[in-house]
Amino acid sequence: MKVMGALLVIAAGGMAGWVYSTLLKKRWTMLQALIQAFQWLETEIGYASVPLGEAFMGIGARAPEEVKLILTTFAAALDGPAGLTADEAWQQSLAQNREALPLKVEDWALLADFGRTLGATDREHQVTAIRRTLERLKHQAAGAEEDYRKNERLYRYLGIAGGALVVLIFY
Amino acid sequence: MSFEEQVFPFITPKLRRALENLRRAVPDQWGKLEEIRLRAGCPLQVEMGQSMLVTPAGEPTTEPGFALRVTAEDVHRTLQLIGGNSLYTLEEELKEGFITLAGGHRVGLAGECLVEGGRLIRLKRVTSLNLRIARELKGIGRVLLPLLTRAGRPLRTIIISPPQAGKTTLLRDLIRSFSNGEELPAPVKVGLVDERGEVAGSFRGVPQLDVGVRTDVLTGCPKREGVFLLLRSMGPQMIATDEIGRPGDLDLIEEILNTGVGFITTAHAWDTKDFALRPSLRRLWARGLVERVVVLSRRLGPGTLEGVWDGRTREPIFSQVQRLEVRR
Repeated sequence: MKVMGALLVIAAGGMAGWVYSTLLKKRWTMLQALIQAFQWLETEIGYASVPLGEAFMGIGARAPEEVKLILTTFAAALDGPAGLTADEAWQQSLAQNREALPLKVEDWALLADFGRTLGATDREHQVTAIRRTLERLKHQAAGAEEDYRKNERLYRYLGIAGGALVVLIFY
Repeated sequence: MSFEEQVFPFITPKLRRALENLRRAVPDQWGKLEEIRLRAGCPLQVEMGQSMLVTPAGEPTTEPGFALRVTAEDVHRTLQLIGGNSLYTLEEELKEGFITLAGGHRVGLAGECLVEGGRLIRLKRVTSLNLRIARELKGIGRVLLPLLTRAGRPLRTIIISPPQAGKTTLLRDLIRSFSNGEELPAPVKVGLVDERGEVAGSFRGVPQLDVGVRTDVLTGCPKREGVFLLLRSMGPQMIATDEIGRPGDLDLIEEILNTGVGFITTAHAWDTKDFALRPSLRRLWARGLVERVVVLSRRLGPGTLEGVWDGRTREPIFSQVQRLEVRR
């Protein structure tokens, strides 16, 4: 019985470590998906001059699930009856999806910054803002990848080790 | 779809509420609404037969102190809504100074300009918006049709009037009548060069107002290029253009005359005397290049017909002052 319990505790520790390392991976893939979406956005706005609502709906349809949520919530808020500006709709979409997505505080800050001038300036400036956001996203993504690669195993072992420690203390 | 449904979603909620209340408060006058004007720092103003200010509760007033004040933020927000929150898609419109909405309503813009080398690049900060309600009055020109045709062909016609006397509304209806073949033995293929997008009220290239079933519309195209494009490609029997009056427009009309197709257009002038004196127009009058001159005014309200002149003899052929109305 005791042995069974000990094994369970160790397994739970291992699980926790695994979940945490998966979160690191998810953040990295989400940042990559965001980079892809912003590259599409640059084309839509810079070359085709497509209005924001249409552009975000279009990109949302092609983007992976987690990014789709931010983009389509934004496009829907933009078309809503409340008469929101693009910035307001964008911040609203970020706030609504914050809980569900594995991004860090600095990633959210970067996305929030992007909304400030969204749709409110000429095309040239919009493209500059998108490119700046892209640069920052790439930087974050590189950091996220490093984080993940360096710490993936560490967290898994740490989880198991933590479980083992608990067993040792209470056995 | 009523114009309120087409225009109100673009107006910022605060102003929208006041206007909705105004509509309920004075339904009769509301029916005459021509313009809604937003100016940063000034009272909300509407033109409903007469110029009125609007209180926050939606009552008409003449006292600026009681009126709802429009802020720079209201103007900015309204412009954002009109542009689908994508001002970068409006670069051409910010250069031209107006935006056409679905339904043919037009939004005039003014504010601070960006200029390079003496040329206007675009408006960089918009502080005044003028929402002009497009009114389609089908059949308003019917009474004129017998005067503007001869032997089954439309005569070369110019409509002159001061601003807001219904030039464009009448032009649109005459184009529609000719194109549909009303009061004519055979309908006429019309080529319309709608440089300012006001006649057909095109939205994304599709006319929102009825200009007839045999009318090809070229929106936003400079007159000269537009006229020749249509003559080359669409084989019109009649060319219609919006307001003329710029240098070069007269040469264009002479060239249209040489091709033998009919034309109808409008110009800004108070009456035939003013018309005969305008440097950019007088050649039309002096040389009898047009066959009919229709004069409108606001004397009995918008769309008052002052008379019709024969452009050749320069004599009036119809001088009964009357309000043009839709007769069913």
